[in-house]
Amino acid sequence: MSSGAIGILETRGMASLMASTDAMLKAAEVQLCGRHGIGSGWLTTVISGQVADVEAAISVGEVEANRTGELIGTQVVPRPDARATDAMPHATGLGAEQVQPQAIGLLETQGLTPLVAGADAMLKAAQVELGGWAFIGGALCHAPIFGDVAAVQTALEVGRQAAERIGTVYATLVLPQPSEGLGPLLPPAPPVELRSTGALGLIETIGYASVVGSANAMLKAADVQIERLSIGSGGRITALATGHLDDVQAAVRAGAEAATALGELDASAVVSRPDPALVARFATAVEGLGAGARQAMGLIETRSTVALVRAVDRMLKAAAVEYEGAYKVGYYLTAAVVRGDVGAVQVATDAGRQEAVEHGELVSAYAIPQPYSGLEGRLPHV
Amino acid sequence: MAGDPAVGMIEVQGVAAAIVGADAACKAADVKLAGWSSIGGYTTAFFTGSISDVAAALRSGEEAARSVIEHVVAAPLLQPAAACHQFVDFPVRSDSDFPAGALGLVETRGYGAHIHTNDQMVKTAPVEVINVLTVHDRVVCSLVLGDVGAVNEAIAVAQKLLADCEHLLGTALIPQPRPEVLAAYAAPMGGGGV
Repeated sequence: MSSGAIGILETRGMASLMASTDAMLKAAEVQLCGRHGIGSGWLTTVISGQVADVEAAISVGEVEANRTGELIGTQVVPRPDARATDAMPHATGLGAEQVQPQAIGLLETQGLTPLVAGADAMLKAAQVELGGWAFIGGALCHAPIFGDVAAVQTALEVGRQAAERIGTVYATLVLPQPSEGLGPLLPPAPPVELRSTGALGLIETIGYASVVGSANAMLKAADVQIERLSIGSGGRITALATGHLDDVQAAVRAGAEAATALGELDASAVVSRPDPALVARFATAVEGLGAGARQAMGLIETRSTVALVRAVDRMLKAAAVEYEGAYKVGYYLTAAVVRGDVGAVQVATDAGRQEAVEHGELVSAYAIPQPYSGLEGRLPHV
Repeated sequence: MAGDPAVGMIEVQGVAAAIVGADAACKAADVKLAGWSSIGGYTTAFFTGSISDVAAALRSGEEAARSVIEHVVAAPLLQPAAACHQFVDFPVRSDSDFPAGALGLVETRGYGAHIHTNDQMVKTAPVEVINVLTVHDRVVCSLVLGDVGAVNEAIAVAQKLLADCEHLLGTALIPQPRPEVLAAYAAPMGGGGV
């Protein structure tokens, strides 16, 4: 049993978590000793110190969390028992990295597309540096920028307006003088190589099956490259394509149409002449995924594991298809992919659709007769 | 898991009901727990056996799970294709070794409340917190182990602390959990969280 106390503060959204944690670290003699996210944007920080310090910090944190967002709850545990907390995941993976002595700006959006559009506008508006990005469930994503206070404020305002043109901004935050101990709350930002391209196109859908069909349609419509498919949490997944502006525009039009036909389109955007740092951070091509079978592809997506496993079993028995992989994008969605000849895949997909409907919620089931070659090697289910 | 003629699947909201269901299924018939997987806030327990054993286990498991939570889907898979075995994300671990004892489950939406509740549970009764599972959609489940009376006492404390918490999903007590249930659910998930 240690002397002292721990304080727990839980909020929805990274902006309010960062603001309240920063306030707590400044208010009293406390250290950050844990963070954990449990989906739907709910995040917890744990601080430690002497009882009075922790109590003072938590009361300041509560006020700050309510001011900047949604407070879920706080607790102070005096003399915490290690037997209770040892098995808990919040203390693991807490890096020791410290933040640089410059202002931090945070843009938090619903979905990845407005975040990318906003980040591009921020980089172009003022002398700021883009950090990493992360999603925290419930479709919430965030990206920090760094620079001097005036630059961060200007960039964030421009970024917020740009993001609002595309989708929903959940929160923005400027910390003029962030506390050094905030490091573990920032998303990892591995070094990247700057890259220029004419334009960056984004199609964000809800569900994996519709983003694959949409990316395939983008590749067929114009001369673009699909760089990667990125999860934005809450079931959202984004296809990022690069190429000349006119090609990207045509591809995004075709992709949006396909996404609407196959499932649910959440957002789309074309960023012309994206900042090289933006391309490097968000649209670095994924490597090392399987080359794909170059055969027809059957996709099925449900909101139940039982329904999906039953459907896959039925598909494999109904026709000469092979199971290739499965992928989950959150929001209760789970998808599986089979490969085979066009006819076999068609028969299997129909059988799988019937089976899934009997056991749970079917989201989408369809066949891509001839997946475009640019799509192979970019699919995360392999 | 391969080789058995049938697979049983019990899918529930959260994870506590799946643990209760998996335990009941393993006790009801000669089936072998394979493991579990999670999508968003739903988890699914998988077990294998003969067709009639799986059917009997499914009935008991589904009923037991329903006593904890409303959303339960149970279905068998007869002569499953080999690929169906790949859907188990967290297989039963052979390296786990837990002392015998009763298992208590406390499930809520929200993480912060668990730190406080777990602290009070271990201070009140001789129980050990062996795992805290976070399965997305804010669902968090604490697993405590001890003798039946101690676990009962610990759960009473948790219920009292969380009585006015709108996010309490449920509590459960398994007096004599099967070792394979502990081996599947009490081992850390690795990573965890979002």
